Amino acid sequence: MFLHNFKYSLKTLFKNKMLIFWTYAFPIILGTFFYLAFSNIENSEKFDIIDIAIVNNEQFNNNIVLKESFNVLGAEESDEQLFNIKYVDLDEAKNMLESDEISGYLLVEESPKVIVKTSGTNQTILKYVTEEIIQNENVLTNIIEEKLNGNTIDGNIDAYIQSIRDDALKMLDINSLQIRDITSKKLSYTMIEFYTLIAMTALYGGIIGMTAINQNLANMSNNGKRIAISPTNKIKIIFSSLLSSFIVQIIGLFILFMYTIFVLKVDYGNNLPLIILLSLVGSLAGLSLGMAVGTVLKAGENVKVGIIIAFTMLGSFLSGMMGITMKYIIDTNVPLVNKLNPVNMITDGFYSLYYYDTYNRFYFNVISLLIFSLIMIVLSALSLRRQKYDSI
Amino acid sequence: MTVFKTFLQVLNKYKATVIMYTVMLVAFGGLNFQTNDNNMNFTASKPDILIINEGEEIGITKAFIEYLDGRTNIKDIRNDEDSINDALFYRDVNYIVYIKPNFREEILSNSPNQEEQFYKDISSANRTVIEIKTTGDYQASIADMLVKKYLNLADIYSRTYDDEEEIIKHINETISLEVATELTSKVDTNTLSKVTFYYNFLSYSVLAGCVYVICLILSSFKNKEINKRTIISSMNYKKFNMKLLLSNCLFAIVLWLVYIVLGFILVGSVPTDYLIFYLINSFIFTICSVTIAFLISNLINNKNAINGIVNVVALGSSFLCGAFVPMEWLPASVLKIARILPSYWYIKTNELLKGVEVFNSASLEPIIINMLILIVFIIVFVILTNIVTKLKLKK
Repeated sequence: MFLHNFKYSLKTLFKNKMLIFWTYAFPIILGTFFYLAFSNIENSEKFDIIDIAIVNNEQFNNNIVLKESFNVLGAEESDEQLFNIKYVDLDEAKNMLESDEISGYLLVEESPKVIVKTSGTNQTILKYVTEEIIQNENVLTNIIEEKLNGNTIDGNIDAYIQSIRDDALKMLDINSLQIRDITSKKLSYTMIEFYTLIAMTALYGGIIGMTAINQNLANMSNNGKRIAISPTNKIKIIFSSLLSSFIVQIIGLFILFMYTIFVLKVDYGNNLPLIILLSLVGSLAGLSLGMAVGTVLKAGENVKVGIIIAFTMLGSFLSGMMGITMKYIIDTNVPLVNKLNPVNMITDGFYSLYYYDTYNRFYFNVISLLIFSLIMIVLSALSLRRQKYDSI
Repeated sequence: MTVFKTFLQVLNKYKATVIMYTVMLVAFGGLNFQTNDNNMNFTASKPDILIINEGEEIGITKAFIEYLDGRTNIKDIRNDEDSINDALFYRDVNYIVYIKPNFREEILSNSPNQEEQFYKDISSANRTVIEIKTTGDYQASIADMLVKKYLNLADIYSRTYDDEEEIIKHINETISLEVATELTSKVDTNTLSKVTFYYNFLSYSVLAGCVYVICLILSSFKNKEINKRTIISSMNYKKFNMKLLLSNCLFAIVLWLVYIVLGFILVGSVPTDYLIFYLINSFIFTICSVTIAFLISNLINNKNAINGIVNVVALGSSFLCGAFVPMEWLPASVLKIARILPSYWYIKTNELLKGVEVFNSASLEPIIINMLILIVFIIVFVILTNIVTKLKLKK
């Protein structure tokens, strides 16, 4: 009986087009959209060379320090390159700014001036760099003054000043106090989008579980009535239905994983056994959710599907699917909400595998999912046992 | 009138679903919208940073923190490693500065050397005084520049002056030197960016709302018995379609008005000449969404499929055309494909409007052309719908 029901429930599930759309096709379509929209976003945030212009007038050419410094910063194909500089006259610079070819231009009159169209990051960098050059001039003046003050110089003063200058310039270039970059290399926040996608798919699996259970409920389908009056062990029937829906769900998730890993190049971290563990536990949570919604609620099938979709969508929204910041906002301000949100448990599990070196957070999520599943299963078991109908 | 009355009856039947769906879309639109201040003077971009001071906040350490405080937004984040790492990952901060306990001592240990070559000894062993974590984006680069500059100045001045007070005084003097900055654009770009963002997002809400509601309502007209009754009536199918379309437009216009009002609440006042074009553009797009919805509802017969189609059509055009992610960040290849979708032309117009300095024939020409393209889309969709209906009638 177990195998018989198992086989037929697999068949009916695979033939249900709406079910297959939501659990197989929809996540792949959505994932493709994410990929198309987000693939460039992090690259465009990466620091790039800034287009600027410098008004090539007499004052600029006379200002050796500015001229030399910008020469270095604008040198093509060097590691130091910060700007792509066009040396033009004032009218040309104005035109270029107007047509957004450059972020801003430098005009040296009595003092240097930065002219930009709007406030912004590139503009700020141009301003800060120009300031730094002027400030370095001030540093040199200060140092020379101080050194001349304290010492009596014998010999050539000019040569002495020159040597301080050279040393100081070297110092400005090489810092003896060091900064160490300890950033983790894995900072790609768009990954969260794909993690919510996996989480959403796992919970959409609830629709599969619910459909399979409905087949066995006397108040939901004719098939259920037939089963109710048959002299078979109901536990066996329920278990085989659940097992078949779990398998359908896992196959869908597997396809999605293959697609995201090999086509969309999503990085899930390197710990394969834990990834599989999380996926299985996540699917179990989805299945048990579907089971609970299917058995506890007395409503039509469409309403139940609607409830699972709405619940999952809300959960996905809170765990960052429609804007990654949302997850962060909820995590920091109302952590309890996301600690109870199964979509976030899965998303956060993948996130901690990807970003963290320790596994505490990961196991916390896995255990939360297991507790969630257990509660759902107990709820369904309570409402499934000893069902009796006087009339349906 | 009969058609319109029936339309209203069906709408009334589904009012709960329609209201729920609309409220959800409005909420998404509102939640995604964050306000920031606008300013007509040049304001330096302030990166969001976090300072973890592992030493005592005195002397030069204190001065350093004050310096960063003036030039960055220092975020207040719970001081445990997980919260800090999360903040960096979700870009709540762009840059984290860990001031090591030896920061102050190392700087002060640089005593002025009386010899002639006093800056020679610069390759000391491990003198890490600061550790950083960075997101590597533009904002982080600014923070990086600021930190490096200060460290540089501290290093060089500590080799020049003996006294800590004196070092701080000279650093402050140097960093107070600024370059004059002039803004040429007199347009308040901040408000315009906000409006553009809002109207771009609106393309998703309007399209999803129209397709969902119209498909839901029209599926009732597709009911076999009702459909047969319509066909044998004396009304021509084109006339029938036109009446239905107009009824749908009425619903769509109400939806559009709701979003416009919400826009006023969220964005505040916008220069009138700009606003007129945003309104015209979004209105044409709303009508276009109706015709899309109308075509789709004529193509499908299955009520259960509506939800799937709404999601694919609305999310698809929104992701590909830049409703969620700004157009400038989308790969060029995606934008090329997006040209076949009406949303692309709608959003493109909004982006063009944002860049307009003066309204004249040169700046308006591309905008008008884009709007005309949208109108062509409308006409094509209406014709396609009629063809589909006719083909179905022949069956």
